[in-house]
Amino acid sequence: MTQEQRSGRPDEDRSRLSRIDAPLRAPFLLLFGSAALWLMLSSALSLLTTLKALPAGIGSYEWFAHGRLEAAARNAFVYGWAGNALFAINLWLLAQLGRFEIRNGWMASVGGLFWNLALTWCTGSVIVSGPGAYALLDFPVGAGPVLAASFALAGLWPVVAYAKRPTGHNFAAQWFVVGASVTFLLAFLLAQAAVFWAPASGVVQAVAHSWYVRTVHLLWLGGSALGLGYYFVSKVLARPLHAYYLASVAFWTYFLFAGWTAPASLIGSPVPLWIQSIGVVGSMMLLVPVLLIGLNLLGALSRDGGWFRAWNSTSLRFISIGIVSLLASLAIAAWASDRSVNAGLRFTSFAEGQNLLLLYAGVTFCVFGAAYAALPRVSGGRWPSAAAIHVHFWASTLGAAGAAFAAFAHPSAHGFISAVSAALLLIGHLAFASTAFAALLSGVPAGESQPAHD
Amino acid sequence: MKNFRYLVLGALAATALPFVGIVVGAQAQFNSLGRAPAEEGGPLMPPLEPGQAIQGRQVYLSLGCVSCHTQQVRPAGQGGDIAGALGARPSVARDYVLQPVVLLGDRRIGPDLANYGVRAKADADVHLAILHKVGGRDQFGFLYSGANHEIPSERAVMLAAYLRSLRQDYSSPEAPLK
Repeated sequence: MTQEQRSGRPDEDRSRLSRIDAPLRAPFLLLFGSAALWLMLSSALSLLTTLKALPAGIGSYEWFAHGRLEAAARNAFVYGWAGNALFAINLWLLAQLGRFEIRNGWMASVGGLFWNLALTWCTGSVIVSGPGAYALLDFPVGAGPVLAASFALAGLWPVVAYAKRPTGHNFAAQWFVVGASVTFLLAFLLAQAAVFWAPASGVVQAVAHSWYVRTVHLLWLGGSALGLGYYFVSKVLARPLHAYYLASVAFWTYFLFAGWTAPASLIGSPVPLWIQSIGVVGSMMLLVPVLLIGLNLLGALSRDGGWFRAWNSTSLRFISIGIVSLLASLAIAAWASDRSVNAGLRFTSFAEGQNLLLLYAGVTFCVFGAAYAALPRVSGGRWPSAAAIHVHFWASTLGAAGAAFAAFAHPSAHGFISAVSAALLLIGHLAFASTAFAALLSGVPAGESQPAHD
Repeated sequence: MKNFRYLVLGALAATALPFVGIVVGAQAQFNSLGRAPAEEGGPLMPPLEPGQAIQGRQVYLSLGCVSCHTQQVRPAGQGGDIAGALGARPSVARDYVLQPVVLLGDRRIGPDLANYGVRAKADADVHLAILHKVGGRDQFGFLYSGANHEIPSERAVMLAAYLRSLRQDYSSPEAPLK
């Protein structure tokens, strides 16, 4: 992080904002504020899907059909929470690392605004008129171009920050975040084309869909989370990463192999065998970057009491759990792509468990950890309550562990454990969102802009 | 800025190459895939879908049924689908060529429906199944009226027609019935 402690604009009395952080404040407030709202919405919807019987009164309405709630929760989580949060955090991180002073930050705010408006439309449409055939592509066809344009305005700032950085700094964290940011737009447009604009024939649509989902999960979300890991592990421990010279190999192998793992989710399906085999090979190849990233990050954490120090840092406590979960989910995916193993696991809740490890315990925990460092710097406020952070950490960790147990150990049943875990997650997210809003707003002088609500 | 260019182009290539390899490759293979007769001079399979079934697919889509039901039978040896009598033969790509969207599904919280039309004997049974009267949670009551949900709405009728149209029990060049 920058050591510059210069004053911000003359009309501000908060001298703690650096010249880099100050102009980030408005877009950051809008994007991260929206992200926190989507996170709460998504966990409330998830809680409803885990209940065996919906509360009397709403159970008989079409809007609360299980498939609709689940699709809405998924979209709110991936695009609403993770998308918005990564727009904000990735921009902040790359501005920090490159000493980049953003100009025209209003473009990010406009992009964020339209992203959220389009997403509100999509989520409403999933609830009111139903989801489509393909998870994460189940929104009105007209929303696609709006989402793509908003992403171009809000999500590509890390690339600008990297290209225009006044310093020559070049860290692995930057590669991962820049790579992740350019991935999404291309993947989104190609997937829209193959599924909606010029529909591929029959089962090829399912192949395209599997590729899109895996690209979003591993490259956009997973790649960003790894970038956060590379930054915070070395930053908080104040030491270089283990075998850092391997980081570029880790980065390139991760990016080059991740997309090819997609058809591993179609083993046994009526798609050509050669495509399924590519997925199996890709999943195995991905073990190479998993090992290298583990060597870089977990190697650094394992020296000189690193884990102990990680535990005592709010940010690194979340992020070290996030990195372990993310790498574990990729290792499990490689194991589960074995044909005979897959035969028993396919169509059970096992894949849900993998997604939970990857997207929640992995990506989301990394974002939580980064937020605990970034929010006070950008807003000039402080985290108001240590107790709320503890509630957040323990509720999220136990909720994730419970949900993972329910999905892995108890496939094909959505029992009591799922409901309790979903409730825990909601409690954790309420604690996180309420303190995040307090931290975001405590630094804003009266009369300044408030974060937009969707 | 050489560095920057390599990074961005590399990441874009890493995204696009699997698309070209897998998706474009699959499309090239299946571009001309169409219906085929089971034996010389026989009728083309899969059969054209009845109009009501086409409308019923929209109901199936809009209720998010795909989140709990699959429509695919894996080959023998890859899971117990054939042994579990989900179908007489594995599903093949040709079975789906007439479908505007393919609802393969990813999770079996409810039963597989690839051959539901073979199993369902009468409309009344289908409606009972839609209502999840057999286990599961009773949550599609809004498709029916009457004190006991005994009168199906137009959408319920279309959905039932769609479900009864689901069958892969004909012989296919890639997966002949024995």
